Order: sequence, then C-alpha cells, then structure tokens
Amino acid sequence: MGGLNTSLQIGLKALEATQGALSATSNNISNANTPGYTREVVQFSESPETLSVGGVMGGGVNLDNLQSVRDEILNLQIQQQTSGQSSADTQLAGLQQVENFFTSTGQDIASAITAFSKSLNQVSAAPASASAQQGVISSGQNLAYAFNQTADGLAGARSDADNQVTQTVAQINTLTSQIAQLNAQLSPQSGTGKDGGTVQDQRDQLVLQLSKLTGIAISQSSDGETITTANGSPLVVGARSYSLQTTNASDGTHHVLDANGNDITSSIQGGQLGGAIQLRDHTLPGFQSQLDTLASQFAAAFNAAQAMGFDSKGNPGTDFFSVPAGTQGAAAGLSVVLSDPSTIAISSDGSAGSNGNVANLTAALTQPLPSGSSVSNEYASLVYKVGTAGSNASAQSSAIGQHLLQLTNQQSSVSGVNIDEETTNLIRFQTAYEAAARIVSTIQHLNSVTINMVS
Amino acid sequence: MRISSNMVPNILASLQQSQLALNQALQEVSTGKRVSAPSDDPSASANMVQNTIDSGNLDQYTQNVSTVLSMVQTADSTLSSVVSSLTQAVSLATQGANGTASAANRQAIAQQVQGILQGVVSLANISYSGSYLFAGTASTVAPFSADPSSPSGYSYLGNSGVNSVSIGDSLSVKVNLPGNQIFSGSSVDVLGTLSSLVTALQTGTTSDIQAAGTQLSAAISYVGQQRVFYANAETQLNSQQTYLQKETVTLSSQATRLVGIDMAEAATDLAQAQTANSAALAAAAKVLPTTLLNYLSPPQ
Repeated sequence: MGGLNTSLQIGLKALEATQGALSATSNNISNANTPGYTREVVQFSESPETLSVGGVMGGGVNLDNLQSVRDEILNLQIQQQTSGQSSADTQLAGLQQVENFFTSTGQDIASAITAFSKSLNQVSAAPASASAQQGVISSGQNLAYAFNQTADGLAGARSDADNQVTQTVAQINTLTSQIAQLNAQLSPQSGTGKDGGTVQDQRDQLVLQLSKLTGIAISQSSDGETITTANGSPLVVGARSYSLQTTNASDGTHHVLDANGNDITSSIQGGQLGGAIQLRDHTLPGFQSQLDTLASQFAAAFNAAQAMGFDSKGNPGTDFFSVPAGTQGAAAGLSVVLSDPSTIAISSDGSAGSNGNVANLTAALTQPLPSGSSVSNEYASLVYKVGTAGSNASAQSSAIGQHLLQLTNQQSSVSGVNIDEETTNLIRFQTAYEAAARIVSTIQHLNSVTINMVS
Repeated sequence: MRISSNMVPNILASLQQSQLALNQALQEVSTGKRVSAPSDDPSASANMVQNTIDSGNLDQYTQNVSTVLSMVQTADSTLSSVVSSLTQAVSLATQGANGTASAANRQAIAQQVQGILQGVVSLANISYSGSYLFAGTASTVAPFSADPSSPSGYSYLGNSGVNSVSIGDSLSVKVNLPGNQIFSGSSVDVLGTLSSLVTALQTGTTSDIQAAGTQLSAAISYVGQQRVFYANAETQLNSQQTYLQKETVTLSSQATRLVGIDMAEAATDLAQAQTANSAALAAAAKVLPTTLLNYLSPPQ
C-alpha cells in the first residue's frame, strides 16, 4: 500500500523526466540548422511497479535514454553519391577550363586553319604577289601559335589537376586524423549499443567530407569502424589514422602512396582526388596526344609538299614548319621556320609566276594525314571528344545531384528536425510538467491537511 | 512520411535550377547562339569546324573567281585588239601588193606595218596587277624583247607553263596561254609573219607581199581560235561564281542550324524561364518562414 510519500516520489520522477524531454526538445530546436545534426528523441519507460497487499502499484516514469535517430544505410549511400558527384564536378571544372581553347573565338585552331587555307588559295590566284606570300607566312605563324596555345591550355589544366592531387591528399590526411580522434572518444560506447550522440554526428559529418575528397569503403572490425580507400588501403582503423603520401614520379606527376608506401594512384576512384587523377592521367593526356599527333603529321605533310616545289628564286622548297622530333610535345613546339615570303615553294617549275605547287600545299590541309583523316576532320574529332567529355561530366554531375537531393531529403526526413513537431512536443512536455508539478502541490496540500488533522 | 522542416536544400536546388535555365535562355538570346562551348553540343561544334573552314575557303574562292575573271577578260580583250591590229595589217598588205603602189608607197606602208608590229608586241607584253599575262608561268618578266638575231626580231623569254587557280574544293581553272603559243608558235608565228610582211614591203616582190598577206589572214583566224580558251574560262568562272554564291548561303544557313537559335523560340524560352524563376522565388519567400509558431499565441 503506497503512502503519500510514494506519490510525491512519482511526481518528482515525472518532473525530472519531462525536464529531460524539454531539454532534448529545446536542443533539437536549437540545432535545427546545424549541418549533420541528428534529432534526438527521449525514451521513457515505466518504473518498476511494486507489489503490495492491495495489488500492483505503478512506480512512475523513467527517462531511459536520448536516442539519435539515424539511418546508417542512407548515410552510406549519401557518402557514395557525394564521392561520385565531387569526382564529376572536379572533372567538369577542368574540362570547362580546357574547352575554352576549343571554342570558336577567332584565336582557336579551326579559325587559324581557315585563315591559313584562305591564304594558300589567295596565293593560288596571285602567285608572285609579295603580300599574298606574306599572308601565308603570317597565317602559318598564327596556326602554329594556335597549336601552341591549345597545347599550353591542356598542359596547364593537367598541372592544375596535379596540384589538386597533392592538396587533396593533404586535406584527406587532416580529416582522417580528426576522424581517428573522434573514434577514440566514441570507442568506450562502441559495442554497448548506445548512441554516440553529438560526437557521432561530428564524426559522420567528417566522414561525409572525406567522401567528397575520395571514394571510401567503411567496414566494422574488432578495432571499431574501419575506413579504407575504394581499393582497400586503410585510412582510419578505430582510433588510428593512416596518412597517404604523394611522391614526384618520373612521369612528372605526383603519385599517391598509401601508408605502406604502395603506389595506389591508378586504383583511386571517386571524390576530388579520383576526379583529378582521371583528368590528369586519362582524359587530358588523350587530348594532348591527339593534338600532338595532328600537329606532327600536319607539319610533316606540309613540309613534304614544300619539298615538291620551288620558291620564287627557283630554289627547291625547304621546311616551312619546325616540329619537335617524335610526337610528344609537337603541338607545343610547332613553329614556322621560314620568314622570307619568297621562300614559300609556290612554283612547280622554278619560275616565279608559277602556282603549280600550291595544289600540293593545299592538299596537306585537305588530304588524309597518316592518321586517316584530314587536318580539319582530325581537329573536329578532337573538338567532339573535348565537348563530349564536358557534357558527360556535366550530365553525370546533375544526375547524381538529383539522386543526392532525394537521398538528403530522405535523410532529413529520418534525422532532420521538424520545428512544428518540436513545438508540439514543447507544448506536450510543458503540460506534462505542469501536471507533474500539480501532483507535488496536491501531495503537499494533503500532507498539511493530515498534519492539521492530528494537531 | 515524416517531413523535416529544413526545406532550405530543396528550395536552394530549385532556385539554382531555375536561375540556371534563366541564365542560359538569356545567353542564347543575347549572343544569338545556342552553342557557345563544345560541351553545349559536341557534334554541332565538331561540324562547325568544317563549316568554318569551308566558309573561309568559299570566301577566298569567290575572291579568286573575281580576280581571275578580270585577268582572263583583260587577256581576251587584249587578243581582240591584236586581231584588229592584224586585220589592219592585212588591208595594208593588200594596198602594198597592188601593182600601182610605188616603192615610196611601199616604204611608207612598211613603216605603218612596223608600227603595228610594235603595237602587237606591246599587247603581248601586257601585264595585269604586276604579272605578265602571256609569259607562261615566268610571269614576272616581260615575255617578248627585241632581239635582232631572231628572224622575227623578237625573242620569247617566258616559258610554256600554264597556271591553274583553285576556284573550288576540287575545281581549278587554267588561267593563261603561254605567249609563244599565241604569238610565235611553230605553225603560226604572228610576230614572224608581221616581220616578214615588213621585209616583203621593203625589199620583196608583189608576190612576196601577197604571200605574207595570206599568212597574216591565217594568223588572224589562229588568234581567234586561241581566244576560245579565254571565252571558255570566262564561262566556267561565271557559272562557278553563281555556284559559290549559292554555296555561301547554304553554309551560313547550316551554321545557323548547327549553333544558332530560332529567335522566336529563344524569346519564348526566356519568358518561360523568367516566369519559372519568379515563381520559385515567390514560393521560397512564402514557404521558408512558416512554422507552427506563427499560429500559436505567445505564452501568457
């Protein structure tokens, strides 16, 4: 049989529990806009009842736990998509920088080819005109310059990507050591089934940032949570972090080494790092080599056409373009050797007024090169590739963006704070608190009635 | 489904999207271009490379046609003057061959024919914007110069080369006849015939003069035949000019199709994008500040 004191005890417990609930609610409201915050819900339970002569007596309420509401699977998906999007965005930024050089601006290779071809056709109608000949020299120089500029643009974008690799690796190392520190704070709780609360929120937020930098895989081991790169090189194992390193490799780029010194450059995928490596080691070198081949084969074809004819003084034609031996660096090193307009091999019979070799010179522009297509077709195919790479990266980024938005919506639907809900809870717990306070005041009143009854 | 009241990411995303569409529509209208970078439409950009080069060449072919046309017309009208000079020489030969003509008359006529010869030589040495039209491909030097050792009194310094000028991607037109073919060929030697007429008038018999006159008549029809070459070239150039004009229109409309915009469509797109953008902004302004708190009375 419970006395008034038991009721007083129950009232006190109710006051404590609702206070806890009120503080959880106000914490939720305060953190409604904190990135990565996971709302907390209070878990009440009944206090053990007591058996007495008159039957079972309730023991009031207990506040058991504050539980953060999270969905680990959803978090994992968001991390993966974030890696994918950030990789696409990194590539897109690089490609947008590159495609400026392939856009028709009047300074691009297509415009320069046009002007060069025009100047050759002009000299066809006026083979002995010094100004028409000068036109061929100047437009040839412009064409070489356009090749140089485009090659520089590609090389610049590649070295930017290389810088991004080293910077991103440094950021990854900072993040992994922070994550390891938070893991150390969490480890007493791991395995107890208890929630990590704010520390876990912070850790999850850092892991999300990490997934933006590179693709990661997360697994559980006896040491706690393990984060590795996509190919399995460890980044964080429990409370220990393993830093990546970069080293200047013989190919002039920075390679990424894992903590054991293994070169993992080619297996890194996703995130800024994966995007920058993809751009630096695959996409841009592909463009560079096609541009170099084009410059090298075109220069060779035009020089060969020069050799078929004679200049205005009747001498056999000499090289018009100078191009580095071997294909590599051809576009960057292309230049015009001739400076005297009279040395263009326009004539086919050695007389100054003949234009018989112009057809051969023009053929270097219109006939297929050893690569199988003409200068203009080869360049057009390069423009197509550059454009497609850019539009693919952009399409990928926006597709993943859509998916990511859905996932984020789902996540905030699970873990996010709804102000209306919290306001309602506030009213609910306020009322509960008032009611519990009324219990205490009622018992106090009854106690004084009892005391007065005796006196 | 539980809804989080944090709608900021959603609203931001839709605002960004409508802003992006608005920017793009605005750019299309202001530049008149649908494609401003290769990634906007890779295949149109690639096709534009060929289009740019083709239009540049077309431009030059058109200029070549008009340059060559004036050159050919000059050559043709020069030959026409040669023919009338020769006709004049034939009638002088007839006068000289007349039995009534005295020796003094013949000397006077010989002088006139000598004048015609010099006139024809200067016509044969005609140049057009710095290049000699009847010198073969050695067009930087006057082709006919006085040479007493030569039977005609003139020697040919040019060659027998012929230039072809490009007037289309796979079309070129021959633009000259070598001067030795027209004026001092092995079958008909115009300058030699005139020169022998002079000699016949000065020292020859009546029949010598008549023979020279007959040869001269043959030379007239020969030069007339040579003119056919220039007439054909003119015809070809004129029809190519028409073709190039049509082709220029074709290429520029292809360029519009590839990277240009349909103004009406672009303007409609812009208006739509504007409406969508202001709708998104208005929605954001209405939705963002609303919570239950707006409707609860403040605590007493």
